[in-house]
Parts: sequence; structure tokens; C-alpha cells
Amino acid sequence: MMRNHLSVIFLPTNKCNVNCEYCFENKTADRMSLDQLSAVTVKLLDFMEESSISSLTLHWQGGEIMTMPVEWFEQAHERIGALAQARNKRVDHGLQTNMIAYTPRWNRIVKEMFGNSVGTSMDYPNLYRKMFRGGPDDYARIWKRNIQAAREAGINIGVISIPNQETLKHGADSFYSFFVDELGITDFQVNTPFPGGELNDTKRNLELENEELSRFFLDLTDIWVERGLAEGIKLGPIDQLIAHFSGEPSCLPCIWQSNCADEFISIDARGFVAQCDCWVTSYPEYFFGNIFEHDTLSGLLKNSTARREFVDRPAAIVDKDCIECAYLSLCHGGCPVRTYTMRHTLLEKDPYCYLYKSLFRHTETVAARLAGARVDRKDFHKALVHTGKGKSCGGSSQTSAPATWQTQPLVQLERRKPAVI
Amino acid sequence: MNTVTYNIPAHLFNSYQGQQVIVRSDNPSDLVRYLSRANLGNVLYAQLTSPEVDLDPLSTWASPLPVDVFLRSPAVEYPLLYNFSKLLDKHPVRISISVKNGFVKAVRLALALGFSVKLEVGQPDASLIAEMAEVLDLYLHRSEVSQPVEYFHSTFLSFFNHKQSPNLWLVQEEDPEQFRFITNEGEETVSPRFGETNWKDLKPIFTAEHKLNEKTECDGCEFLERCGGYFKWPNKEFDCEGVKTLFSGLNLAAEELRNDLASFRELPGVLPT
Repeated sequence: MMRNHLSVIFLPTNKCNVNCEYCFENKTADRMSLDQLSAVTVKLLDFMEESSISSLTLHWQGGEIMTMPVEWFEQAHERIGALAQARNKRVDHGLQTNMIAYTPRWNRIVKEMFGNSVGTSMDYPNLYRKMFRGGPDDYARIWKRNIQAAREAGINIGVISIPNQETLKHGADSFYSFFVDELGITDFQVNTPFPGGELNDTKRNLELENEELSRFFLDLTDIWVERGLAEGIKLGPIDQLIAHFSGEPSCLPCIWQSNCADEFISIDARGFVAQCDCWVTSYPEYFFGNIFEHDTLSGLLKNSTARREFVDRPAAIVDKDCIECAYLSLCHGGCPVRTYTMRHTLLEKDPYCYLYKSLFRHTETVAARLAGARVDRKDFHKALVHTGKGKSCGGSSQTSAPATWQTQPLVQLERRKPAVI
Repeated sequence: MNTVTYNIPAHLFNSYQGQQVIVRSDNPSDLVRYLSRANLGNVLYAQLTSPEVDLDPLSTWASPLPVDVFLRSPAVEYPLLYNFSKLLDKHPVRISISVKNGFVKAVRLALALGFSVKLEVGQPDASLIAEMAEVLDLYLHRSEVSQPVEYFHSTFLSFFNHKQSPNLWLVQEEDPEQFRFITNEGEETVSPRFGETNWKDLKPIFTAEHKLNEKTECDGCEFLERCGGYFKWPNKEFDCEGVKTLFSGLNLAAEELRNDLASFRELPGVLPT
């Protein structure tokens, strides 16, 4: 069912403390108890054992994760650690939060459980992230204050940003300057917007025109190469694409895997299992099942007709025109949720195909140019090591070479150990 | 004396204990059932003879044994390759692709998914040569391709290294000195394309004497050493013009790479290797 590493986007709470207009989740008041967490953990470990999977990454988010008490996390960390250790499995944790409820009380658990790193989100300009009482400016003010405090406490901050119409009007230079020069962010990632969850006026106008968005991404690439690369600024997915085309190990986002259904699942506070966080609260027709109602996760996944649709998607669409694409190995038809929310079917390629191809072509050219200029490899490599939400690396998705068939008879017929086992 | 490797159906596994084998089946459960309790030291790889299978037994099998998947009808079967990508974390996986019309799609996807590829080539006509040329271009020039495509890869390396290469009979696992194919009924032959013919009756076609005793297109062919007359079977009147262009392409690319590397070594500050 899965590869050698299991990634789970885990929502122990469906509750949120803010009211963002473009959020793809349908919030509820549900939150998971520690006993429920233990039950889920046991089923995940059972599944790993059945599938010969040795490591698990839990990507914690919500809802909003910091609506849960710090003490809950301290106990959760202890319980998961003990259960995993008893089964000789490795579990790593990642944290994605809006940082609105952050206080220094979180510092210890962030350090101990999450490697002193958090992923958060902000747009430039911020149009849609709002408090329940107060507008985007209030949200941005609190967010800036809190990330500043977290950074002063030594926490590494990674930021996801979604461009909007105003972003494109301001241009890539202003966007880059806002994050890097004004906020001092050294690790950020740009995602594309999609109208997930219940529709509203904001979501109806969320999709951006491909050519304009491509121009933005291409400009941003050039700005990063000029101003960020040598400084060690991480800018996903651009830096990872350039690493990929440079033959360096890279970590591409989940939208560009051969099949995201082979890479991860998501579990929400009610126990529902779905493809990812974009589906698990908002699209009941695409739920794979409820982990509390099934004896095993493997049984749940195997018998889910909804999951079958995700598993079969790349094969079902590849013959349309992806098979002729020079970048098939990178994209495989792109993201199911972007396709579904903009084209109302899973069986089309990602609507941002034009953007992706433009970006692949451009970063490939830039990588060749950088190789030609013989960039100092040490600095280059340092700038290209990246982890974060939406990228399931650390496990199987790192795009280093897979286990290679031993060519014969030039190298006599010996077996090689697979790259990851 | 080389060890002979037998390509056997899974149900004959116990009869070939102690021999070097390739174990094949159209059913992953069979492969896992026969191999999971065996000493795999003598098993070269497991071969799935059809891609239309339930892969769960192999996906959950912890053994790192290499797996070869054979596509008999590649133009139709190729989307099924997506099912096999999850095997790559545990097994080296090679896709053996029958060179039939439309096979280039299967090669494209196999390479895009990170699989090694082996072309089951036979005697290609002009349209298949055109598709093979497209595959050769992918193999030689696309930065996204990181896995070998046989027989191109071994041939390229032999040109590049200026080394006496194993000829195509060996690369294609059809040299009867090293490979035998055991039919489902237990009959011994060289490979499926030789049908029921006994391997001993085929031996003369592999020998240099045979080629020298008969006036054929092979006489004086600059690629004979690497090809070994492979494309002259079963129809020895086969016109090699097309396959020679592929050999030439490989030779030119090897020369180009050698020259590039030599120029690179001459750059200031680059240490000689």
C-alpha cells in the first residue's frame, strides 16, 4: 500500500482560532483524546509492521494545532515514543501552525518534539487570513509579533505563502523583499491557490491566470538566484527544482510525486482517513474510512473505493498528454485536489500544468547556467537542503536515485542493496 | 567455466535447488510463497510475466530481491507501471519491454518512474527502429533519465571504455553458455523467442566460426564484436541498416562524452582523474 516510509498529515483537532476566507477545511469542535491518540498510534504501527515500513513522520496540524494544550503534546510525545520504541519503529514529528496562539510555553515541546522548527503561513499582501474579530491587518500584526518572539527563542520558522491577484500586481521583487528583507525569513515556500471546501466569493476568484502566475514564479526564480542562493535562503519549490536539475538530492513538494497515494494519508480528529488535509474535513465522499471503526488501517485502505480513485489517477490520465511531456518524471499529472476543486473531476491533469512546465523549463535552464558558472559547490549545496510541510521528504520522496538494477554483464549479476530499507 | 543461470517457472523452484536461477510467475503470491522460505543466494531476480497483478504480496515482502516485470503489450499495458513504483524502495525493479508498436510510451513512463529498462528487441522493422531511435535519444540526452536502458547502456559503456564488450546475446540474457530458459513444461531452451528449439541445436549461430564460414552482412561489420550477429536470428536475411544507425549513435555519443571529459580535464584548476 505504501512505500518504505509512512507520512501522516495528522489533525488531532479540527478546531481553529482564526477565520481565513480561503481555508479548504470545514472546521468542527472535535479534538482527539490521548487514549484515542494511542489507539491511532497502535494502528499506524501495526500497519507499518504488516507493510515492512520502518519509519513514520507525523505532520501535526489542525484545525489549528495550538488550540490544544501544551501538556497534551507533552503526554502525546511520551506515549507515541513509548509505543514506537516497543515496536522498534522510528517516529519523527513536524509542526504546522498559524502561530496566532503561540506563547513561550510552547518553546520546550517545540524543541523536544519538533526539532525546534515550526511551519507557518503568511501571504503578501495578506488579503484572506483573518481573526474572528478583526481583519487581515490584525492577523498579520499578531503573526509578525509571534514569529519574532519564536525566532528570538531560537525556533526555526518556515513559511508557506499563497500568491493572490494583489501579489501578482506587486510583483516578485516586492514579494521576495517582504519575506526576506522585511521579515528576515530565510526559509519559505510558495504554493498555488485552489478553492477547496465550501465555496464562497473569495474562493470563486482564487484561481490565478496561468501565464501571469508563471511570470511571477519565473521572476521569483531569477531574484532568488541573484539575491538568495549565495545567502542560503531556502525558497521552495524553486530551490528544490534547481537542486533536482543540478543532480543534487532534492525534496520536491507533494504535488509532484509519481503518486501521492503511495506517499501519505491524513487522519483528522474524528478518526476519518483521507488522502491529505485538503480532503479529510471537507469531502466526505472521498473519505477512505474511519480508523476507529476499522480493525486495521491496511484493511481500511485496501477496501476503500475512494482511495482506489486516488491510486488509479496517474495511470488513468497519463495517456491524455502527460506521456508526451518532457517533465513527466517530475509531475505525473500534478495535484488531485487542485484538479478536483477547479475542474470538478480527478481525471484531468492539474490546471496549473502551464505554470509547472514553464517553471521546470526555466529552473532546468538556470541549473545548467549555474553549473556552467561553476558555483561554489559548498554554498550551493547548503542552500538546497530543505524540509517542510507539503514535502514528504525525510522518507521515500527524496528524489535521490532509486535502487538501481545492476547492469549486466558489464558489472556481473550481483544484487545491490536497495537505497532505502 | 561460467555458471549457467536458469530462467524457471516458480513451480519448478524446488527442482533447481543449488542452481543459479531467475524465478518467474504471473502471480506475485507464487513468487513470495516459493521464495520467502528459500535461500536467495542463488536467485538472480524474480520475474513477473504480466503486469496485471495484485502487488500486495510483493509490496509487503521485506526481501530486497530484484524484480523484473515483463510487458508483452507495452502500448496498452504501460499505465500499469504506476502500480510498481512503490516496489522501488525495497527492490531494484527493471521493466522488460517487448519492442512492438507504441512501446516508446512504456519506456517513457518506466524511465519517468525510475525503473531500469531492458528492450526485448527481436528483429525490428523500420517503424520500430524509429521508436528505438526515440528511446536512444531519451537515454542519451534527457537529464531526467537516470536509469540504464539495455541493450543501449552496456553497448554505450563498451564504446566509451574502449573495452571488449560482452555481445548482445549476453546482454540480452540469451547466451546459452550462460542462460537457459525452462518452459512451463520443464523443457530447456535459450529464450522464449527460440520457441521449442533445443539450445544445443542453436549453438552454431553463436559461434564465430559460423559467421566466418558464411558470407553475410556481418562480415566486415564494424559492430560485429558488440552485436555478435544477434539481429540475424531467426531471419538471417534481416537488413541491419536500422540497427546499425543505433550502434553508430551510441558510438558517436561515447566519443562525444570522452572528448567533453578530456576538454574538462584540460580546464585550469581541474585535477586530472
